[in-house]
Amino acid sequence: MFRLTKKKKHDLLAGYFFVSPWILGFLIFIIFPILASLFLSFTKYDILSSPKFIGLENWKRMFLEDRRFLNATKATLKYVIFAVPARLLFAFIVALILNLSEHKIIRLYRAIYYVPSLVGGSVAVAVMWRQIFGLDGLVNFIMEKILGMSRIIWLGDPKTAIWTLILLAMWQFGSPMLIFLAGLKQIPESLYEAASIDGATFWPQLFKITIPMLSPVIFFNLVMQTIGGFMVFTQAYIITGGAPLDTTLFYALYIYQKGFRDYDMGYASAMAWFLLVIIAIITFILFKTSGRWVYYEAERGR
Amino acid sequence: MKRFIKIYILIFLLVFLFLSSNYSAEVINLRVSWWGSQTRHNATLKVIELFEKKYPNIKITPEYTAWSDYWTKLNTQAAAQNLPDVIQHDYQYITEWVTRGLLLPLDDLIAKKIINLSDVAPQYIQPGIIKGKTYGINLGVNALGLVYDPELFKKAGVPLPKTDWTWDDFKNTVIQLNKKLGIYGVEGFTGQIECFKIWLIENGQWLYSEDGKNLGFDEETFTKWWKMMLELEDANAVPSIAVDVSRTGLGVEDQFIVKQKSAMSLAWSNQLIAISRAANRPLKMALFPRISKTAKSGSYLKASMFFSINAQTKYPKEAGMFIDFFTNSIEANKILAAERGVPISKKIQAFLKPQLTPAQKEAFDFIKLVEKYGSPTPPPDVPRHAEVSNNVIGPIWEQIRYKQISLDKAFAQLKSQAEKILQRQ
Repeated sequence: MFRLTKKKKHDLLAGYFFVSPWILGFLIFIIFPILASLFLSFTKYDILSSPKFIGLENWKRMFLEDRRFLNATKATLKYVIFAVPARLLFAFIVALILNLSEHKIIRLYRAIYYVPSLVGGSVAVAVMWRQIFGLDGLVNFIMEKILGMSRIIWLGDPKTAIWTLILLAMWQFGSPMLIFLAGLKQIPESLYEAASIDGATFWPQLFKITIPMLSPVIFFNLVMQTIGGFMVFTQAYIITGGAPLDTTLFYALYIYQKGFRDYDMGYASAMAWFLLVIIAIITFILFKTSGRWVYYEAERGR
Repeated sequence: MKRFIKIYILIFLLVFLFLSSNYSAEVINLRVSWWGSQTRHNATLKVIELFEKKYPNIKITPEYTAWSDYWTKLNTQAAAQNLPDVIQHDYQYITEWVTRGLLLPLDDLIAKKIINLSDVAPQYIQPGIIKGKTYGINLGVNALGLVYDPELFKKAGVPLPKTDWTWDDFKNTVIQLNKKLGIYGVEGFTGQIECFKIWLIENGQWLYSEDGKNLGFDEETFTKWWKMMLELEDANAVPSIAVDVSRTGLGVEDQFIVKQKSAMSLAWSNQLIAISRAANRPLKMALFPRISKTAKSGSYLKASMFFSINAQTKYPKEAGMFIDFFTNSIEANKILAAERGVPISKKIQAFLKPQLTPAQKEAFDFIKLVEKYGSPTPPPDVPRHAEVSNNVIGPIWEQIRYKQISLDKAFAQLKSQAEKILQRQ
């Protein structure tokens, strides 16, 4: 240990004093609720009366008895598996296009393409999506009146309902796109110049330069979007409410229903902790595999 | 030293102020909470103003939200032992609250005529009686029935629903309407648990057994109901499950009956007013069909909502006076305009009658019809009903309508899953 001078001590104290609002907020509004929910997951708690300790009862019910828990897990996995890559791919393609030139009009497009994400998880977009895919919505109108096909009950058919939500996720590609774009700008122009002198056309350049150089950004986006994907709530809450046949009953929606509709807060807490475990495992796996495909310039010499 | 004297004087003054204000506080502060729409908020606030004018020593703090936040808020307040004195309550939750001892029995106040129910028929009081004691005063009467469009019936040449029509009549009516007009015979009906409940009442059964630990109906009644409903769905005479699901959450204006795409619709009597307004043409209301001409219709009178009193209130008498004002004051009910359902006092009903709009009058008449031909009010929902209905009945109903499950399998699953929840500690 080293001794602090009086002045240093004073500075340290003053420092802690000034960050104390944040520290207090962190302890009271983040750490305390997290620990409380861990405790609650072993209790029966209906908000009305005080929590009663019931050991692993909630967890047993979750894994052994609750069919809807299984439905919710399946629906969420399906959503993450399809929506996350779709959104990333789409964002990447759009970023590539917007990176082609520095014209003023391109800058305008950048802003425009970001708009759907700004209004992202908002209720308004969800309500609009409901209308578009509704029985007499825009999509059915086009299919019936212009393409001459028979209409599809998008939100009521167990086969199609989740796809409307995945499509919505794809449409909200703005924030990963912006990050991709920033990454693309970082790739040194000299690499492309050298490649084109050697006769490499667009495709080899894409696979040999752009994607490897962008891989840290792709990795970052993948992790963030996967985590976000598991926590999807508003879209399903507004557009489908989990129906039909629980095919869009996302995990977070089911937690909400358990906690605030069935007043089963203990069970909801247990579910939340299980979600945390799943997300942690998947993120861990992503990090483990990242060594094989993510290329960091700084580590070149290793 | 001087500084300390100043502080002493200040503290002394503060203490004095505090004490004196406490002594002069003869004003009684009541908290009243309710859920509802903006129309209800405005009307209720006006009535509170009226009440405060009449009793200047009582101050009322209103607490109001929409239905969706109301119970979360109340539950939190209950956990903090900070409930309002007068609480608007619902049939769905009142038993649970009584079981937890959160509500005050009102029999004393009624006996002392602080809440005067001498103009109220017993069947209007009955819904608020739980385990032999009165815990809620009915704020308005409602009944479930079928809204129909007489114009469309005439166009199709189908006879209007009669008071004593049977389920066979109903089935034929729906199918005929669909055949003649190419629109739905009835909407929002086949998948509704409320309709199934009425079917159970007519068959002398109920969703749950008396102790609330088991299902209260048998497989035969269940199968008969679903065969009838599926027959209507298979004939495409009613909206399919996919159509219903894709339309959940839509407002009154989007209902098929409003757009003349359905000739009948399921509705509570107080909803008739909003539906008629949206449709902008006269609509009528019919009783639920019966199992035979001689049996009773299963439509029943329901308390749309109650006023209850917090068990820990300091002012039970004043809270009772407020409820009485709501129930018996002509001026108050003039403002409230039967928005919470048909008022329970005969005197008030007679007073409101001449001022009603045609749709309101139809709703009042329908209540009279149910009073005469309907069934007695079933017991309040068991405490776990919401959980059973959301997680077992609802999903299984969906599976049946999507044809994912056979009826006998559905019943077996329904029984085992529901009873697991009902019997859980």
